Formats: sequence, C-alpha cells, structure tokens
Amino acid sequence: MKTMEGGRLGENTGIREELIRKACSLALKAHKAASDNKLFVVEKSRGSAEVIFCFGGSWSVGDWFTKKPFGETKISLDLFPSLRSIGNDQIAVVNEAFLKKFQLILESTTLRNEVEKAVTGKMQIVFTGHSSGGPLAILTTIWFLEKYLRAENNQIQPLCMTFGSALVGDRIFSHAINRENWSSHFVHFIMRSDIVPRIFLCPLSSIERELQPILNFFHKKSTYFNQEPEIKPHQALSFFSMVLRNASSVTSHAACKYMECTNLLLEKLTNFIELSPYRPFGTNVFCTKNGRLIVLKNPDAVFQMLFYSLQLSSESEGKEFAQRSLMEHFEYQIELEESLGMQDMVHLDGVEGIPLFSNRGAASELATSNIALNDLGLSTTARLCVRAAGELEKQKLRNQDKIDGSSKRKIKEAINLLEKYHMDCELRKTSYYDAFKLQKNKDDFEANVKRQELAGYWDEVLSLLKTYQLPDEFECREEWVELGTRYRRLVEPLDIANYYRHSLNENTGPYMGTGRPARYKYTQRWREHALNLPLKSSLESCFWAEVEELCQGKFEEMKERVLHLEGEISKWVCDKEIGMDVFSEGSTFVKWWRTLPYEHRIGSRVARFIDC
Amino acid sequence: MLATFVASSPFLTESWRLCSLANTTAPESFVTDHIGTTGYIAFSGIQNVCGSDPGFRNLVQMDCTDGLFAPLLRRGEGEDPAMVHAGFLHLFHTVYSCPRFQSEALAIMQKSKSIIITGHSVGGTTASLVSLWLLSYLQQTSISSPLSILCITFGSPLLGNESLSRAILHKKWSGNFCHVVLGNDIVPRLLFAPLESFTSQLHFLLQYWQMSMASPHFAELNTQVLAKEVKAELFLFVLAHVGESARAERSSYWPFGNYLFCSDEGEICVDNAKATVKMLRFMFRMSESGDYGIKEHVKYGDWVEKVSSRFMTRRVVEGEREYSESSYEAGLDLALQSCGISRQVSIVGEAKECLKMARRLGRTPNLNRAYLAIELSKKTPIRAQIEWYKRCCDESEDQMGYYDSFKQRGASKKHSKINMNRIKLATFWDEVIRKFDANELPHDFDKGAKWVYTSQFYKLLVEPLDIAEYYRTNMHRVKGHYVEHGRERRYHIMDKWWRAHNSNLEENNKRSKFASLTQDSCFWARLEEARDWVHDVRRERDGRKLTFLWENIHNFDNYSRRLVDRKEVSIDVLAENSSYSRWMEDLRDLKSQLHYFPQLPGFFDGGMVP
Repeated sequence: MKTMEGGRLGENTGIREELIRKACSLALKAHKAASDNKLFVVEKSRGSAEVIFCFGGSWSVGDWFTKKPFGETKISLDLFPSLRSIGNDQIAVVNEAFLKKFQLILESTTLRNEVEKAVTGKMQIVFTGHSSGGPLAILTTIWFLEKYLRAENNQIQPLCMTFGSALVGDRIFSHAINRENWSSHFVHFIMRSDIVPRIFLCPLSSIERELQPILNFFHKKSTYFNQEPEIKPHQALSFFSMVLRNASSVTSHAACKYMECTNLLLEKLTNFIELSPYRPFGTNVFCTKNGRLIVLKNPDAVFQMLFYSLQLSSESEGKEFAQRSLMEHFEYQIELEESLGMQDMVHLDGVEGIPLFSNRGAASELATSNIALNDLGLSTTARLCVRAAGELEKQKLRNQDKIDGSSKRKIKEAINLLEKYHMDCELRKTSYYDAFKLQKNKDDFEANVKRQELAGYWDEVLSLLKTYQLPDEFECREEWVELGTRYRRLVEPLDIANYYRHSLNENTGPYMGTGRPARYKYTQRWREHALNLPLKSSLESCFWAEVEELCQGKFEEMKERVLHLEGEISKWVCDKEIGMDVFSEGSTFVKWWRTLPYEHRIGSRVARFIDC
Repeated sequence: MLATFVASSPFLTESWRLCSLANTTAPESFVTDHIGTTGYIAFSGIQNVCGSDPGFRNLVQMDCTDGLFAPLLRRGEGEDPAMVHAGFLHLFHTVYSCPRFQSEALAIMQKSKSIIITGHSVGGTTASLVSLWLLSYLQQTSISSPLSILCITFGSPLLGNESLSRAILHKKWSGNFCHVVLGNDIVPRLLFAPLESFTSQLHFLLQYWQMSMASPHFAELNTQVLAKEVKAELFLFVLAHVGESARAERSSYWPFGNYLFCSDEGEICVDNAKATVKMLRFMFRMSESGDYGIKEHVKYGDWVEKVSSRFMTRRVVEGEREYSESSYEAGLDLALQSCGISRQVSIVGEAKECLKMARRLGRTPNLNRAYLAIELSKKTPIRAQIEWYKRCCDESEDQMGYYDSFKQRGASKKHSKINMNRIKLATFWDEVIRKFDANELPHDFDKGAKWVYTSQFYKLLVEPLDIAEYYRTNMHRVKGHYVEHGRERRYHIMDKWWRAHNSNLEENNKRSKFASLTQDSCFWARLEEARDWVHDVRRERDGRKLTFLWENIHNFDNYSRRLVDRKEVSIDVLAENSSYSRWMEDLRDLKSQLHYFPQLPGFFDGGMVP
C-alpha cells in the first residue's frame, strides 16, 4: 500500500490552497444569491487568472427528489454523449431534479456566454458548489468537458470543487467519467459526519416526513447567517437512522458484489428492497475534524466509507451524533481553514492493503494510514469492505493483463491466418464471402474453425466487459479499438455467410435483427466513440447482410434501400473499408446486382466496379 | 457480509412482527398484511401437530399431492423421490384447502409485486410448503413471473429429505428461502434424531412453546417446564444425532435454502447444505445461562429487536491479537465471532474449515464464464468436424442420411472419430451444467443469448447421434425408449433454456428450404418408437390395444408430416434410405394390407387414410 503523508493537499492535487479556500467561501455565499433567484455567480478578481462559477442550492423536497424511489432518470445523451458505457450501451442515470435545474440554467442564463468568454480569455476555469449546489457544479463541468475537450479538442483544463455535495450519478456515470479520464477534474470535500453526501443512499419514501423540515433548516442556515435555527432532536435522530439504515443496505449489498458472493439469496432480496443507484466518483477528500485530510480515488472504497464513517461507537451517542451530522454540513470553511494550514494529509491509494485493526502497527509504516482510518472511525468490518473494493480494482487490472497478453496474441494469430485466407480468395478471383459460404475446400473449413476460435476469444473479453470486470478505460484504448475494427471487417462477413448458409434468418429473422453477435456491436461502438462518429455509422462490415436481405425482395419495393446501399458501397470502397473481391465474378453481390433492372444499373454508382 | 445486508433490510423486523401477531391472535391459522408493494403472509407457530401423531417423523412423497408441486418433482433417473414430513404436509393441506386462504392468497398475489411468506416454529414449515407451492404454481402459469417470493422462517424444524433439498437447488429456488436459527434453538435440530422415546416429553415441550408464543410473558413465569435432567438428556440425545449427521454428511432429513445463524455477536449466512448441518452442530451447545436450547426457541423477538439497530454502531472486534492480517482469514474470524463460537477452542478449527467449505474457493463465477467461453472455442473444431461429417453423410451415395449412417456405421476410423467427438462434447456440456448447478457460474448464465444458442445448436447437431447410439446398442430393450428413459439431463436443461429464451417468439414463418438441422432434436427417437408401433400393429390382435397403437402411429405421422411440410427437418430425414423413408414405406405397405382386412378397427373411417 502506498501512503503519501504530511504534504499539503495543494501539492498532490495540483490545486493551490488559496483557490480551495476561495472556492469554499464562494460556494457557501452562492446560496444567498440563489435565494434571490440568481442561479449562478461568476467571480473574477482583477489580475487573477481564474474565473470561478458558483452554484447555490435549493431547498424544497421537489428540488431534490422528483419522484419515488430515488428521483433518478436516464441522462440526456444530447447534452452528455459520453455518459454511458460504450459496448454495453447502458446510459448513465442521474438525479432528475438536478439535471432539470442544470438544463434550466443552461437555457435561461448567460452561463454559455460567460464560459465562452473565460475560454477565449484562456482563464483557469473553476466550477464550485456546496450542498445541492454541488450537483449543478458537477453537471456543468461535465457539459464543459463534453463541449470543449471532447468535441472541440480544446486543451483547457477545468476544475470542479464541491463541498458536502449530494450524490448525483450512478455507477455508469462514474464509469464513464473514469473512462474519459476526467476524474482528476473533480475534487469533492466530505466532512466525516456530514449527512448530505449520504442522503441519496436512502429512498424518499423512508424519509418523506423528515426531509422538508431538515431542508428548511438547511435553508435558514445557509441563507441567514445571523440566525441559529433549531431542529427537533427526535426528528434529527429518526432522519439520521433512516439514512444510516439504507446506507447500510446499499453498501453491504455492494460489498457482497465486490466479494463475488454467489448466494442466490442476494439476487432474490434485491427484488424486495429499494437500493440506491447513486455512487460517488472523482477524487474525494474526507475531513476528519482533527485537521487531517484523507484523499481517496477509488470510488467503491469511498462508497463504503460513506456508510462506515457514520457508524456510532455506541447507541447512546445517537442523538448527539444526529445533530452533529446536520451541523457539520456547514463547517467546511472553518475545517478547511484549519486543515489546509496543518499540512496533514493522508493519501490512500491501493486500499486493498490498509491495516485491518485499529490498534495495530503503531510503529510500522502503516501507522499514518491507521491513524487516518481511526479518525474516520472505521471498524474491522469496514476495513474489510474497503479492502475488497481495492481488491476488485486490482482484479480488474489482472484481468486486463491477461487479455493483453495471451488473448491478444491468439486473436492476432487467428486474424493473420484469416487474412491469408482472404488474400488467397482474392488471388483466385473469387469473393471471400462466397467461397466461405460454399464451404467447398479444406481451407474454407479451416477458416470456419478459426472464425469460431476467434468468437471464443472475443466473447471472453465481452463477458468481462459486461460485468465491468475490466478497468474503466479499456474501451478507449487505441490498440483494442483498432484490433476490434480489423477483426470486425475481416470476420463479420464470414459470420454473415455462415448465418445465411444455414438459413438461420428463417429461424430468427434477418441477421441485423437478432442474429448479429454482440462482439461486432461492441467493436463497432468502440470505433464510433473513439472517432466521435454518430451512432450506427460504422456498418461497413454488415454489407453482406444487407445484400442477402435485398436478394430476397423485389427491386421496386426496396429501391430506397438499394440506392442507399450503393451510395455506401462507393464510399466504403474509396475509404478502403471493404475489399474489391466483393465485385468478383460470381459473387452473391454481383449476381444479385445483375438482376436489377437495366435502367437502374446503367446509372448506378457502383456500375464502374462491375463488368457489364 | 450477506448477513449484514439481510439484517439491515426492513423485512426481518416486519416478518417477525407478523409472526408474533399470528402467534398471539391467529392460532392454527395465519395473518396477512401489506407494506408498500410487498404482501406478507405469516403462519402461526401454534399448530396441531402432536408428538403422538402416528405419522410423526415419517417422510412421505410429495407426488401424491395433486400435482401442486409438479415442477419440483420432475426428477432424473436414479434419484430418490423428494419427500417431506407427513404431519407438516398434512398441515399444509389443511391450510391450502381452507377457502379463506385461497381468497386471501389470491388477493395478495393480485395486489403485490412481491410476497414474503413467513412463520415461526411449525408455522415455518407451512410457510416453506406454501412458498414451494406458490413457486411451482407461478412457474406453471407464466414463464417469467413478475412476482418475487421470499420465505423467511424463524426456528423452523427441518422439512424434507436430501432429494427435496437437491430439487430446490436445481430449480434455483434456494435463494427464496431464508431460515433464521437463533443460537442453540433445539427445534431446527430435532428431526435429525429418532424421537420415539421422547414422545411424552416432546408433547410437554410443544405445549410449553405454544403457550409461550400465545402470551409472551408465559416464558418468564413458567421456567420449569421439564426437569433439568430430562432436558439435559434430550439435549445430549439430539446433540449426538446432529453430530452424527454432520460427520456422515447424511440424514433422513436435510436442510435446504439459506440459513441465517444468529448469536448475540452477529449473524452469518450459509447456503451450502452440508455446511449448514455442520454449523447446526457447532452452534448447538449449552448456553451460558444453562438453557438447553428450549427457551431459545421463543426468543426470536428479542433478537430481531437487537438486530434492527445493530447497523448503527461499529462492530467491536474482541481479542484482536489472534487475528490475521489477511483479508480472507480475518473475514473468517469475524464470521466465527458472529456465530459466537470464536471462544470455543475445541471446535474453532473445525468450524473454520466448515466455513471455508461454505465459501466457495477458486475462480469467481464471472471469470468461470469467461473461461468457459475459451473452453467452448476449443471445442469448436470438434463440433465442426461433426458438421462436416453430417454433410458427407447427407451427400453420400448410399443415401442413408446422417442418422442412419451413424447408427449403422461400420468400424471405420471416420465414424469412430465422430463418436469420440460426440463423447467429448457431452463431457464438456455436462461440466457446464454441473458448474451451473453448483452455482459456480453467474445466476443469469442461462439467460445469455450466446450460451442458449450454442447449447441449442449442440443439441440439434449431436442429440441425433446420441439417439442413434442408444438404438444401435439396443439400450431401448434394457431401459425403455429414449425419450422417456434414455435422454440425458443436459438436453432437458437445454430445452428449458431454449424455451425460456424464446417464450415470446412465435414460429409462423415458413422456411424456403429445408433446415440445416432438424428442429426437433428428438425426432429420430420418436421415429424409433413409431417403428416399434408399426411392428407391433402387425402382430397385435387385441382390438383396444390396436386402436391405441394406431392412434400413436397416426399422431406421429401427422407430426412428422407437419415438420416436413414446414421444412423443419434437415434433408437427411428425407434421404432415400433413411429410417424415416423406410418407415413411410412400411406404413404404406401396412395400410394397403389393411384394405384386405376390413374387419380391423374402423379407425380410418373418418378419412384418416390418405
């Protein structure tokens, strides 16, 4: 395990402490502006190189939860095209109330202009927010990253700092941000007992009664600084224990998954219980109130800590602790003032190696991290769960190593052999597709075996991807995107040939319907994402499937499709995305094309490739 | 960790609340309730099963129960029938036939998205049986039911034998059952022992328990239910038998589903039946207060209350010095502490071994699946050779087709290689299914399109060879016909996967050419039976039997014509010298002969002879 200690937060995250302090105080002040209907505040001090965008919070239940159970919704891909998992094609889930608020700000305010100005001015851009302002800062940052970094390839590096922010997105949200390598743009500060970062682990139904009074309390506290509002102790306690109970369920469920618990009861219980979809992401900094700052990057470990650091040492503490969990939500400024000065920071990387027992190793090199974990009040059970989260991350890396090693080598070997088969077909002036479809010679048979072997290797990769057992960035790795494209273009025609050879279309419909194996869909999506192409734009490898389907219909009825295909073909040929063997004498394509009416053929865009 | 998850969920508390409500207000009956979208049914622990019941501890087969549990009872060859306790089954029938139960159960099923069925003590066995019935019922009526069922029992006695336990495991229903066992409660252990000699004492105990359930204060007042010596004797007697069962890993009664073992320190969850029995043994000891597991049986309420707030506080680890720094070992130590036996030096070692067994070692399910994908791809050349072989047979000049060529094969290298391939693939798939049964693969393994399609393809390709081998070696003379008696379990399971996957797929599209593989993999087995019928018809003189035979022949004829007509057979079926073509000829012969015997059954009058 690697623990960096001492040091100042600024040195390790690349953020100046002064900036953190400023962001924090501005984030808290933004609430006041928000209550005057000023949805965000821009702060540019003269002579400084930063622009700080601050987002204030809102305090009605409807601003937090739009509906039961967790007020979640699928994110809109128009604004956030990257927030999904690529191969699996799953869309990230976010809090609907916060998403709507963000969209409102984007549409009805000068945010776009202000951001544009800051970009042209080459300023350091910072987004910040406290409490329910945090999610707005987060969404704005991602919107910025999508627009300026991904789409326009601008090299400007924004920064997002939140203080006691509510959770905003799910597992896929976190996965996508990691995959795009955007995590380092986000720093979230969390007080050890602040209730707000945990609220969304709890369904609305369990806290319906208490939530509004609590939010009223927050509202007063955040807007009218001179007042000291009160909250009834029993209300605070029942709110606190409800959040804690649900946090316990969802984190222990996640821990079971990290430990790969196979008990069927786990699956069955999931039907009976509402588990929060929300997860942390980015860099999280826990403030312990002892002046120590604990920095963690593994989101699964942060997730476990969100629950365990809230546990009591005895039940009698309940009332006091419940009050504290509300008050700490407003103590960021004081706390940071103190701890940034103390230079006492513990950086927990490789959490699979944290010490398990609170009183062990006082003298060893683990002493510092042990003190830090004790500050957070983590029991041995808690540490086991955090370790499991770390172990999961390591396992993902090991899986990737294996795939990068033997699997990749075998895939390449098999592809090379099939490429040779392709060349042989070209030399014989037969189309690769038709030779394979006829299965006349021994080398056709061998190609078929290779095709199926390759399917096995790719399915191994896919089955790891489907269960998120590879590192998040895997689908963005250039060599795999490339290998996937090469594989798809070479082998998918063989799969199509096999499909129509066995007339499987009569069992399960056209190839492009249910017949297309996932390995081609995944590799196609990888390429589209990597090159920023529109979805479903990379269909060159499915060319033959369209031909086969067109063979079965009448020209008059499919004229549109024929014209479209011919257009695509001439494009693909120019880009060398499909081979010239398609036009060999006797190929399915040529035979079919010759059956088209003369008037059509004479003006066709592919006529120049075929001897008439 | 799972136990923590279970304990922090609200339904333990809710279930117990209803159980105790049922105990106090609805003796020999049940109560129902609704919380959100979850319906609850709780069975009272006060039921009329006395120790003097002649059927006590007798196991009876579940088959006799009007098909209520039909899906559970389908069993493979050589397996013992699933059996349950006669008295408990009787109780279930009493409940089941009660009109109030029928109407309330229906109401709950219509109103809820999920149902929790629960019961304390003997009520737990009724809850288990009702859950089994409901699961069977839902499976028969709809393929993918949106209703989820969970059965939670508190201190329930054992219910059935090992076959029942295995059948539940194979059905993937074990996750629907969670049996809570508190400390050294004697009731879940009772049925390991032959109790005939304790009949009267048990009678007393039952009364004591039931009184305590009916009024919670009773237990505190009436402390002396039996003389201490008698209790000790019973305890030791049961202990010896539990110990024996744990050692021998067998007993006439066997646990199923999950067990949640609880102590003052925490709880653990075990789903492996062998480990469950061992844990029942390890945790069965005299409590510090000198109780022999008798009072414990009525203390679930106290425990539930404690558990419902346990998540609030940090867990304190005792005696840290002995613990290891490895996550794995420390996890085991914590689990032992949870069962409250970490201080029992004499059994700690054994108990640890037992928990290790319960926790699966080795590769994890997801990695297993990935690894199987590779294994499968290694098997493809073997399968491709069979495909190649089929094509050779179908195109060969003797016009026998795939099936008959293999059935009547001579001793050539080509054929024997294919036979080897057939066996290799069978081994591979049996292993896949073994892993699936043993929970070594992900739960949704059978939903993955890749595996469903590959297994279907395998079945269509290779099962005809299995059938050919079966009839070639005359196994049908020994064991009976293939479809009923010879079909391997893997094919049944593959059928199930395929059906579940394609349940909403209507097959109406007609093929333009013959399928590359016959779509009913048992086609040839059905043909072999039909051959027997045609053979028998020639000799049979008994009119009634004859009608029956003709009916069968006629059905097969219709069935096969339909397949051929829809082009769902592969061309080998229609090969000139295939068994099918020869059978058709036979039938034609037979029918033409029949014209000379007009006195034979008037079965064809309805225009059935073409």
